[in-house]
Amino acid sequence: MTTTHPSDQQQRGTTPQGNTGNRVPRRPKAQSRAPWILLAPFLALFLLTFILPILVAIASSFTKVTRKGLFGEAGVTSEFAWFSNYAQALSDGNFVASIGRMFLFGIVQVPVMIILCTVLALMLESTSARWPGFFRAAYFLPYGVPGVIATILWSFLYVPGLSPLIDIAGMFGLEPDFLGPNTVLWSIANIVLWSYAGYNMLIIVAQLKTIPVELYEAARVDGATTWRIARSIQLPLIKPALVLTTVFSIIGTLQLFAEAQVLKTVAPSIDSQYTPNLSAYSTAFAYNDYNVAAAQAVLIAAVALILSFAFLKFSNRKSS
Amino acid sequence: MTTLKESRPAPPAAGKQSPNKPQRRARSSTIIVTGLLLVVALYFLAPVYWVLVASTKSTADLFSTNGFWFAPTFSLWHNISQVLTYDGGIFVRWFANSVIYAGVGALLATYFAAAGGYALAKYEFRGRNLVFGTILAGVLVPGTATALPLFLLFSQLGIANTYASVLIPSLVSPFGIFLCRIYAQSTVDSALIEAARIDGAGELRIFHTIGLKLLTPALVTVFLFQLVGIWNNYFLPLVMLSDVELYPITLGLNNWLSQVDRLPEFYELTTGGVLLSIIPLGIAMVILQRFWRGGLTEGSVK
Amino acid sequence: MTQFTRRQLLGAGLGTAALGMLAGCATPGTASVNGGPVIAPVASGEKITLKYWSWLKDLQKVADIWNESHPNVQVETVWIPGGNSGGYQKIFSALATQGGPDLAQVEMRSIPEFMLVNGLVDLTRYGAQETAHLYDPTLWSQVSYTGGVYGIPQDSGPMGMFYQPAVLEKVGATPPATWNEWGEVAGELRKTDAYMDCFPLGDASVFAAFATQAGAQWFRAEEDGWVINMTDPATMQAAEFFDSAIDKDLVQTAYGAFSPGWFAAAAKGGLASVTSGSWADALIAGVSGGEGKWRVAPMPVWDGGSGFGSSYLGGSTAAVLANSKHPKEALDFAVWMTTSKEGIDAMINNSGIGWSPAPGFIGTTRQKPSPFFSGQNYNQEVFEPATLQQNPDWSWWPVTTQSLNILSDGFRKKATGTSLVETMSIAEKQIMTVFKNKGLSIRREAS
Repeated sequence: MTTTHPSDQQQRGTTPQGNTGNRVPRRPKAQSRAPWILLAPFLALFLLTFILPILVAIASSFTKVTRKGLFGEAGVTSEFAWFSNYAQALSDGNFVASIGRMFLFGIVQVPVMIILCTVLALMLESTSARWPGFFRAAYFLPYGVPGVIATILWSFLYVPGLSPLIDIAGMFGLEPDFLGPNTVLWSIANIVLWSYAGYNMLIIVAQLKTIPVELYEAARVDGATTWRIARSIQLPLIKPALVLTTVFSIIGTLQLFAEAQVLKTVAPSIDSQYTPNLSAYSTAFAYNDYNVAAAQAVLIAAVALILSFAFLKFSNRKSS
Repeated sequence: MTTLKESRPAPPAAGKQSPNKPQRRARSSTIIVTGLLLVVALYFLAPVYWVLVASTKSTADLFSTNGFWFAPTFSLWHNISQVLTYDGGIFVRWFANSVIYAGVGALLATYFAAAGGYALAKYEFRGRNLVFGTILAGVLVPGTATALPLFLLFSQLGIANTYASVLIPSLVSPFGIFLCRIYAQSTVDSALIEAARIDGAGELRIFHTIGLKLLTPALVTVFLFQLVGIWNNYFLPLVMLSDVELYPITLGLNNWLSQVDRLPEFYELTTGGVLLSIIPLGIAMVILQRFWRGGLTEGSVK
Repeated sequence: MTQFTRRQLLGAGLGTAALGMLAGCATPGTASVNGGPVIAPVASGEKITLKYWSWLKDLQKVADIWNESHPNVQVETVWIPGGNSGGYQKIFSALATQGGPDLAQVEMRSIPEFMLVNGLVDLTRYGAQETAHLYDPTLWSQVSYTGGVYGIPQDSGPMGMFYQPAVLEKVGATPPATWNEWGEVAGELRKTDAYMDCFPLGDASVFAAFATQAGAQWFRAEEDGWVINMTDPATMQAAEFFDSAIDKDLVQTAYGAFSPGWFAAAAKGGLASVTSGSWADALIAGVSGGEGKWRVAPMPVWDGGSGFGSSYLGGSTAAVLANSKHPKEALDFAVWMTTSKEGIDAMINNSGIGWSPAPGFIGTTRQKPSPFFSGQNYNQEVFEPATLQQNPDWSWWPVTTQSLNILSDGFRKKATGTSLVETMSIAEKQIMTVFKNKGLSIRREAS
């Protein structure tokens, strides 16, 4: 297992305490047992809620249930099926389309999110901003609104007949359709942006605050402009925060569910397999195909893992 | 340099910078930047404002009057009392459920993450890297991907559709243990632990007295992170619960919203319920955002 | 790491044991309740409570009437979201955990899907066939499969055309009697910026109802398995008709009936009519300022004399779920609710149900003229005759939801140029694959 998180490199050089163990060759029994006792509750739960479900999913994704007769009344058999559920999941055009849709979503949404958060954080932390405390609180407020409730809220602002936004646009002769087949994905993106921008911004602000004052002063003495300070000092130094928020955004994109499921009731263009998660949910509980749903869940987890690791690797290589 | 928790809303860097700027430029850029921030704030607050207005309206007014302004008849109190009393006060029940799920879940999750993170940081033992690597992979697996198989597993164990089915998965925070480990590495001094050992303190006692105390800033972050995470969770309870009495508020409100097609009067209930549900968390966010920084990117900062 | 420690070996052992346990984990819904022993009714004097999950409004008030006269069999209702908007997901997930209520509202079209996961009790084992004569035979055939009865019809939706006379009069039209006339009127209306009706691309069940009217029978259960035919002349006639209607912009496709957009357009007179189930009357009553502006006419018929006078849209049953401990009592309640005068009236007044499944009694209020519909006695005038002109051969099948979703997905592609006619044959193949993936035998009707 290679732990490629950026923090690892840092801690190797800077935390000599972490290696105390090497200096003490033999340790009493209590000390060798203690870490396991401390880890036990977490590990037990981790095993139950992460490892076991993943094993269940894998086991069930390799099982196939066959029903004989008109309704399975002539017998139900369950057998090992190799990759047939995966083949079925991947040959399901809607499921594949939902993954493609999330790629499209991620390619647009993640950069917009990161850039917006960075700009907001830099503006808030610049000397020019008034009332930064108020703004920070205002931006962060939506994070406390659950995704479902945020979607309910925005759906009221999207639905024709109810939405003041459409009324206002109407005054300018516009007829925006927030729920049309080509626009609804971006209406969802807007909800995600609204919910999480403030949170991501706060991570970046926290990182900005750790930049030593002396660095700014030295730059000012050298006559650096605000723009130059942002580019050469602030941006490089907040990179860890940017990596963290990007990884969270990638995972968040693949988790997308509530927004699509709630909007589905008002947007006819959202089908029951609009996002990968919605697809797995429908396959399990609307089509009652738990085995194919398990294969879909495994595929979603695998894609999330691969993407996140790839991004971490990529950002590590770039920095070294 | 881990003095994050002490920094004040006005960044120290800011105060030092301004004198170097020409006055006039500073003023015009203040206006521009503040103006921009104001526009963005409008974006973030408008939906909240809308629901505030909407919850004062009857369903008929909701459709016939401008969404951003109040209707002539003010029915906020009527709506709120409807929300609180409908179906024997089920809304209050949902709210209490959310508090239980999020409060108990976050508290225990934080404690377990602290113990685990501390162990991973402060002890050398076989399998440490394996454990840490596995947990790291856990951070990256979307929670929703495990929810379905977890449902199948829990239904075999007979605990699906119970409080436990939502609580147990909420007790695990791989991100929390990851954060605690990094924070413990940089702030918990091993010399202090050694000294306590020489004084004859047991390992668990050392953790509870020294470890927990030094980890507090990171623990606040983990707790809040987990609290909001559970409070906002929708997929897990949706998959696990079929009994309305066990619903958290997210599921409950969506249950109401899905009735508006046939029963428009549920618009009043939903908007009123949304308002009531975002008030406490909104206030909490505004107050707590200042604590929301200890450790998030700690360790990598140094 | 090449050396194995004791702990690692132990871990590996535990892992294998866990995996073994998982392999034992059965996929939910693979055991049948109808092979087991019949559950005897409870002894008199013993008190039980039945749970009924349904998305009908205020159903508890109906149950309360029963509860008053049946102190020992109390019925408690729980509201769930409608069908595929979340209700079925909840029922399926409850069934998977060996739980769930005694009774659940299940649409006619979903009965076979619940049968497929062994979710329903065969009610003939508890004497349901003795009540068969109380129900509309068309509806009864839609709950009867392979010799069993799997739900008690609770409401249905014979179709008619709700229209706004004032809007039609603008082009000098009266309610069209045939679909061809319907198309002509729709063309005239387009010149006045109004639409005749909408055609929901996202919900194929409406199209299925039109095809049913034309005489389609997409599925047939034979001894050796299912027989599919979704490209028969009747279906093609309906598909071609709406292909051309959409191409000529005669129907509104941006929103479906009874969506917020629909209500806005209907109130402004932008929609002349809606052809829908009888239950649409309650929804039309929600159009603001609609009182006195609507009437009801029989559904237009297909030209060439083929097909039927009406069709059905929607319709649900009270089905007894597999994990019920009291199937006999649950059946008794369901029969009381759907055939007794007090039950039917209570369901109409409190829950606003669709058409009563008992031909003998359509409901007290429905025997009178309606003030909203300009004093028209439309229930006896239009819908009562409509129930006698429905396609009796139509049968639902075990993957209805998925099939209708496949169709809807295809219909959505109409915008990008795939015609409804093409979608029918593409969907037919996809649906056959779905059957085969489940192991069910299916063949194409020999043409």
